[in-house]
Amino acid sequence: MPSVIVRLALSVFLLTARGVQPARADLGTAPLRIVVSNYPLAYFAERIGGSRVQVTLPVPAGADPAFWKPDAKAVGLMQKADLIALNGAGFEKWLVHVSLPKLKQVDTAEGFHDRYIHIDNAVTHSHGPGGTHSHGGTAFTTWLDFEQAARQAETLAQAMMRKRPEFTASFSENLAALNADLKALDSDARRILGGRTDEPLLASHPVYQYLARRYGLKLESIHWEPDEMPAAAEWEALAKLLAGHPAKTMLWEAEPSAAIAARLKTLGVAAVAFEPAANRPESGDFLGVMKQNLERFGRIR
Amino acid sequence: MLNHDFYLAWRYLSFHKTRSAILIACLSLMAFLPLGLHALLDDGERQMSGRAAATPLLVGAKGSSVDLTLTALYFSEAAAPAITLAEADLVGASGWADPLPLYSRFRIKGQPLVGVTLDYFDYRRLAPARGELPALLGDCVLGHEAAAALGLEPGDSLATTPENLFDLAGVYPLKLHVTGVLAQSGSPDDQAVFVDLKTTWVIEGLGHGHDQQTPAARHQSLPFAQAAAQLQVDARLVTYTEITAANIDSFHFHGDPAGYPISAVIALPHDRRGATLLKGRYLADDGTTQIIEPAIVTHGLLHNIFRIGALFDGILVLVGATTLLALGLVFSLSLRLRRRELETIFLLGCSRATVFKLVVAELALLGLASAILSGALLLAVDHYGESWIRQFLLS
Repeated sequence: MPSVIVRLALSVFLLTARGVQPARADLGTAPLRIVVSNYPLAYFAERIGGSRVQVTLPVPAGADPAFWKPDAKAVGLMQKADLIALNGAGFEKWLVHVSLPKLKQVDTAEGFHDRYIHIDNAVTHSHGPGGTHSHGGTAFTTWLDFEQAARQAETLAQAMMRKRPEFTASFSENLAALNADLKALDSDARRILGGRTDEPLLASHPVYQYLARRYGLKLESIHWEPDEMPAAAEWEALAKLLAGHPAKTMLWEAEPSAAIAARLKTLGVAAVAFEPAANRPESGDFLGVMKQNLERFGRIR
Repeated sequence: MLNHDFYLAWRYLSFHKTRSAILIACLSLMAFLPLGLHALLDDGERQMSGRAAATPLLVGAKGSSVDLTLTALYFSEAAAPAITLAEADLVGASGWADPLPLYSRFRIKGQPLVGVTLDYFDYRRLAPARGELPALLGDCVLGHEAAAALGLEPGDSLATTPENLFDLAGVYPLKLHVTGVLAQSGSPDDQAVFVDLKTTWVIEGLGHGHDQQTPAARHQSLPFAQAAAQLQVDARLVTYTEITAANIDSFHFHGDPAGYPISAVIALPHDRRGATLLKGRYLADDGTTQIIEPAIVTHGLLHNIFRIGALFDGILVLVGATTLLALGLVFSLSLRLRRRELETIFLLGCSRATVFKLVVAELALLGLASAILSGALLLAVDHYGESWIRQFLLS
């Protein structure tokens, strides 16, 4: 008799356990946890994944993701993610100093690595018996070429689909919508920027290389901060540069201080903010910021 | 009455302690050796087969497939020749399998120091029992037995040492930070000290950090802050021997990482077709790498071990028979020596049967003591067998 009771109890337990299985299967539909290294990738992931993804940009608000360095806590967050979306092209200089699962990483710019723009003035040094070596630099604001941005979004979507094949249809549909928006943005950029290819331009930071290449801009970069008044020597150097490169417009990552803008104006140079949006904007989204950039540029003549 | 026989037998054996101890030791070893050996072989087979079955394909330098298996799966000291990280990239780029590169060239205080990517922990289902997995360059996580052997806990540190005293080529000792201790896995991972693959390259001297160099004179034609700089430093430059938050940014690697050394690549095929296609890539004789199935290599190795085991069995049967004959001789000689003593017992009124029962009781007590001793030894093998196998057979 006791053995019958034990068998009955076991049967009930097994039936209950089988009944629980569908709930366990639901674990597979938990949001795909994606950690991204800059805002454009966060925007792409959110557009492609919608409610099926949980996107984290671990860079604090106001910090420049290109020069941010993750601490052990941020690395731990990335290690626990399902997917680590990297910009590539040398954007994540910290990658060499951290331990991350390789199979969870997706380098979104890898597909066009042969089109990277290498910065000529990379630091070279030598020591020991190994001779000289170079820490070569690569321009990393790849998404400012909106055709490249679309390719990055495509690569990211593929990685997301590999992780969650059950959402392939949804991700593909959302990717198509994102691609259409990026294509429209690219057309706008070609219309607004491409119409001024003969005009010499200045950039306050060397971050517009891909923008200049894609849309044919004659751009010379210097290295000024929007909230730091440059020293007299730098103004003199700018005057010399303008003698050979008579730019009337200077692109800034953010609106420069009124004093800088006013002094530039005396040199006949108008300051225009063209935000790369590497970090999450205070308001709006990637498309909105880029459209505003193009509108501001279009207004300057 | 029976109690009296055993009491007298016990008193007799206690009085002749040395002789009794030798007889018990001989009988115990006779029983223990074949059983213990088989228990160890079974443990070894279980461990090796399980580990090999969980490692579908292994890519490494051409040569001994046994060395490659022992290096990549059991972190053996007899390290297989190195290959380059490019092999792992090739496996990944094929789209047929995921690569898990590992580098097990170094040892630290007798424990294998294994460089892996973080994917290794997911694949082997290794999770920290205490602390965290390595997060930064210079971090390490200890296997369960390694932590016990080194007496370290999360927050402690341990220093690597150059491979030999004459290693003057610039391989600096590196102070590793212990971030965690892994839960016991019952595998060779328990004995290892794990670091990120990049940290092993720093230990090897392929990457390093040092003081900021003083730039040469600024090029006059480039007025802005990002002007080109040619930095010259000499061999007196101070190289860091500990990676800290303050100096981690100065750590860098020279050359193309694809050319950096690794011991092997564990290839995880996506499906059977991928495995077949990947194996096909390594069929060319002129290549410098090979792909092996650890399960097949291990099966061959175990086959040889079992052949040796069968040989041992034959030898043990002969040795056992000889020992039994010798013990019989010893016992019969001792009975002769005790003739007067036994005669006295008879003259005191004991029957021949009682004298016989006394001798049988002595034999029974000797047998019981031997059974207890060999049982204890077998229990020890059962408890420590796995770690002995890892320590003496697989390392």
